[in-house]
Amino acid sequence: MATSAPPAGWRSRLYRLDTKASPYAYIAPFFLVFAAFGLFPLIYTGWLSLHHVELGQSGSGTWVGFDNYTSLWDNQFFWKALRNTFTLGVISTVPQLLMALGLAHLLNYKLRARGFFRVAVLAPYATSIAAAALVFVQLFNPDYGMINQFLGHVGVHDIRWDSSKWPAQIAISAIVTWRWTGYNALIYLAAMQAVPADLYEAAALDGASRWRQFLSVTIPSIRPTIFFTIIVSTIGATQLFGEPLIYGGGVGPTGGTDHQYQTLSLYMYDKGWQVGQLGQASAVAWVMLLILLLIGAAQLLVMRANRRKLGG
Amino acid sequence: MAQLTESVKPADARGRTAPPRTARRRKVRAGGAGKQHNGGPIAYAFLILAALVSLFPLYWTVVAASHTDTDIVTPPTPLLPGSHLIDNLKIVWDQVDMTKALVNSTIVAGTVAISTVLFATLAGFAFAKLEFRGRNALLTIVVATMTVPPQLTVIPLYQIITDAGWVGHLQSVILPSLVAAFGVFFMRQFLSEALPIELVEAARVDGAHSLRIIWHVVFPIARPAMAVLGMLVFVQSWNDFFWPFIALSQQNPTVQVALAGVGSGNHQIDHAVVVCAALVATLPLLLVFAVLGKQIVSGITAGAVKS
Amino acid sequence: MRTSGRTRRTAVIAVAGLATCATLITGCSSDSKDDAKGDSGKSSSGEQITLHIGDFGSFGYDDKTGAKLFSEYERLHPNIKIVEDNVSDGQQYWDSLKLHLQQNSGLDDIQAIEIGYIAEAIQPNLASKFVDFKTVKGFNVDDWVSYKEKEATTSDGKVIGVGTDIGPTAICYRTDFFKQAGLPTDPAQVAALWNGDWSKFVSVGEQFKAKAPSGVAFTDSAGGLFNAVLSSQSAQYSDESGKLVYDSSPGVQTAWNLSAKAIKEGLTAKLQQFDSNNTWSAAFKTGKFATVACPSWMIGQVAANSGPANKGKWDIAQPPQAGNWGGSFLAVPKSGKHVAEATAFAQWLTAAAQEVKVFQKFGNIPSNKAGLADPAVQNATNDYFGTAGAPIGKIFSTTANAIQPAPIGPKDGTVKDIITKNGLLDMEQRGTSADKAWSNVKAQVKDKVGE
Repeated sequence: MATSAPPAGWRSRLYRLDTKASPYAYIAPFFLVFAAFGLFPLIYTGWLSLHHVELGQSGSGTWVGFDNYTSLWDNQFFWKALRNTFTLGVISTVPQLLMALGLAHLLNYKLRARGFFRVAVLAPYATSIAAAALVFVQLFNPDYGMINQFLGHVGVHDIRWDSSKWPAQIAISAIVTWRWTGYNALIYLAAMQAVPADLYEAAALDGASRWRQFLSVTIPSIRPTIFFTIIVSTIGATQLFGEPLIYGGGVGPTGGTDHQYQTLSLYMYDKGWQVGQLGQASAVAWVMLLILLLIGAAQLLVMRANRRKLGG
Repeated sequence: MAQLTESVKPADARGRTAPPRTARRRKVRAGGAGKQHNGGPIAYAFLILAALVSLFPLYWTVVAASHTDTDIVTPPTPLLPGSHLIDNLKIVWDQVDMTKALVNSTIVAGTVAISTVLFATLAGFAFAKLEFRGRNALLTIVVATMTVPPQLTVIPLYQIITDAGWVGHLQSVILPSLVAAFGVFFMRQFLSEALPIELVEAARVDGAHSLRIIWHVVFPIARPAMAVLGMLVFVQSWNDFFWPFIALSQQNPTVQVALAGVGSGNHQIDHAVVVCAALVATLPLLLVFAVLGKQIVSGITAGAVKS
Repeated sequence: MRTSGRTRRTAVIAVAGLATCATLITGCSSDSKDDAKGDSGKSSSGEQITLHIGDFGSFGYDDKTGAKLFSEYERLHPNIKIVEDNVSDGQQYWDSLKLHLQQNSGLDDIQAIEIGYIAEAIQPNLASKFVDFKTVKGFNVDDWVSYKEKEATTSDGKVIGVGTDIGPTAICYRTDFFKQAGLPTDPAQVAALWNGDWSKFVSVGEQFKAKAPSGVAFTDSAGGLFNAVLSSQSAQYSDESGKLVYDSSPGVQTAWNLSAKAIKEGLTAKLQQFDSNNTWSAAFKTGKFATVACPSWMIGQVAANSGPANKGKWDIAQPPQAGNWGGSFLAVPKSGKHVAEATAFAQWLTAAAQEVKVFQKFGNIPSNKAGLADPAVQNATNDYFGTAGAPIGKIFSTTANAIQPAPIGPKDGTVKDIITKNGLLDMEQRGTSADKAWSNVKAQVKDKVGE
């Protein structure tokens, strides 16, 4: 590459300073703002988790050590919430990402009204969640909702979407999938736009079908973005909050009358805000954080291994 | 060598095919152009279905916003727009300062989106393409910060803005959101695949310092991703409720805070008015989509340099 | 050096961009009206000040749909401007109010507190943030019905709020359904069916069910029944010291057993009151139940949800036993800039004359004794109910005067939610047995309250 000699004198020193210092300058804004507004809350939450302290109470509360954590161990509601978070996470994330990938592929075609379709798939993300919940709650209404009416025609009767565990979880993951599929599709689309055209040309010359090209060119090329969406969706699923809360209405904070779909975030919210037990809620928050870090580390290892296997 | 950098300046973004400048470069074209098959009927069928499913609740928002409360809670649910839109709009504007809320939200979401996109692109570029000590560790920290659950951090955050004297002021919702780990990570992933290292090296060899590289090499390539990120962050900031509701008040609200003050009727919530306000809150977003959506088409320099 | 030329331009644009952000930020801060929050002038008398009143739902004070009390007060006090800071959802309002109180920031000059939260507000942490009305000139506890100010009194005798309205509870019933089931329809005869004992109410339900029109349940929800029964009991969730005793409280046991019995006999429509998916409100119009426990503030709900087509089909009868369900207080945070003016305004809003005006406009029953006795309240009727207009003033004030105060505690609201939503509703919707539901309730109370 080096066809010309490095510049001399002060310019050279400036140049070296630039290469050395500029990366730090570019990442500095993120870390500065995080230090100002993210770090203190994070540490403070950790500190609260070691205390018995109630919302609205001034002062520090009483030191209880790791009691808030150990009491989670034999707390049936915590384990239930953990299980729900996991099952809801899987059934809402996996179909969502697969559909988003397909949708992005279609949106990447040369289309009439391409702009319209792109705006349309992002519309769920913009639609007020309260308005959307009203619609979904009507659709899933066990007594007169469209879905049960339809199922009635094919011989499936009286599914209690509001109170039975699995139907309720499926209904909630339908809302999640509806809201976030277009969002992920656009992220994939942006990445697909940057895939070099000649890769497709070469594949086409080799006689690869469109489907083949999608699998052997598109997917490998946007792998870092797919990795990104998996990480972000995992985090989003672990923090799932708004959809079950609104779907449940009056029983939203407890995730159904019998906690059928209470997630960890809801459990934390219920403890911290509805009941005001800040110390216990903070402990739940930190447990969530640790779980996520563990999942993240596992994902990273898997990705590394994969990359090595593929030789990428 | 100066020519080489010259040839990737952003002006090329419009012209879908930039003429090859040197023997070392091959044809540069719109990222999609070469591979973009025409959509077949099946593709259209799927997309139309997806559009219908995506848009129906929005359409229903229009329907509900134009009926009375009694109409929409009584089966059979109406499926066509009614005649009460103006009445409901009047109630919304009577109950809250919606004009001010729209202006405030535009300021907040606009500032947050611009700043997030800018800083995320800079940091994402550094993480993706520049060598520096501690890079991997710092990137891990960035990703780790995404895992902090937001429902609890508002309590210490409120203490911070109280101490700073920002309660009720827009900076209380703007400043904590000026950057997003999500954006940094997104840009890092995008640029690590989309930005050929050769382009950066070539510019370096040319003596360009890094700001110049960012302007002439990184931004043009990142444009579709910046547009997508801008849209996503704008919506997220616009729809953010939990924190703004605590930090602001009805005297100086964002749109979502104003929505919380809408719909109080005589001892019951007027759902039609609530949905009508939600509709008012959603329309500006669609406008932003339409404008930014155009930017997603492009990717001029993809594969611009032979390896 | 074309490079540096270009660089300079780039740098200028970058800086300009940042400057724009900065201008926007400072711009908005100076633009913010919040500077004025409780402080748009010196507090010395005669100078212009703005009083902010924070409330939730509808208090009926405002100038647009309410009793226009704000403009009236502004006319009486030309130097005062009133601004209302209203939030629809009472839970959201209280959540953020607690955080605001903790930090002494973002508070309005007057903050409304719902009865469900007042027991929390009188705990030392929060109570110390409010003005003690006992020390305020012109305040007299005895101006209110006996139980009202007692609820806003701390253990060391401070009174942190003045009472706005109360929610004496009667029974709304569908005369057409009662007739079809062979029951009387006249309010006095209906009241006689269950007079004095809630278990008679459930027995009437059994009679109703035997001859009920198809698809019509006796009452809307077990949760509504539970609340109505419990609110008439002298022993509720907590004892005099505020300690939770729900597990051994005879009142809770009575209310739970009756509600569980009603569920078992199929007397409830299995609905959730005020659910966000509107099933409950829709069921008024489609006629899915014959009775609903009716606190005074509920009658507007019944009329609006049932719609004009059902006018005259509902009537109101005296309840088996008198209870109170709902109502609020106005409190004045000490950290405000205009504490004296705010206190005076809160007293004015809750004086008899103003509570009567709100009643006339909005139907909120006064908690102020003189207001309750006012002929405008006593003689009030409601055309939506009954054949010739139901005498709601008589019904509700009679009930209001018969209510016996019960001790309350800070965790009552939490326990109530668990019992009605996670206990009774779980029985209704998922067929959980009463014993299992009660042990679920106990486990959840233990988890949340730690007792």
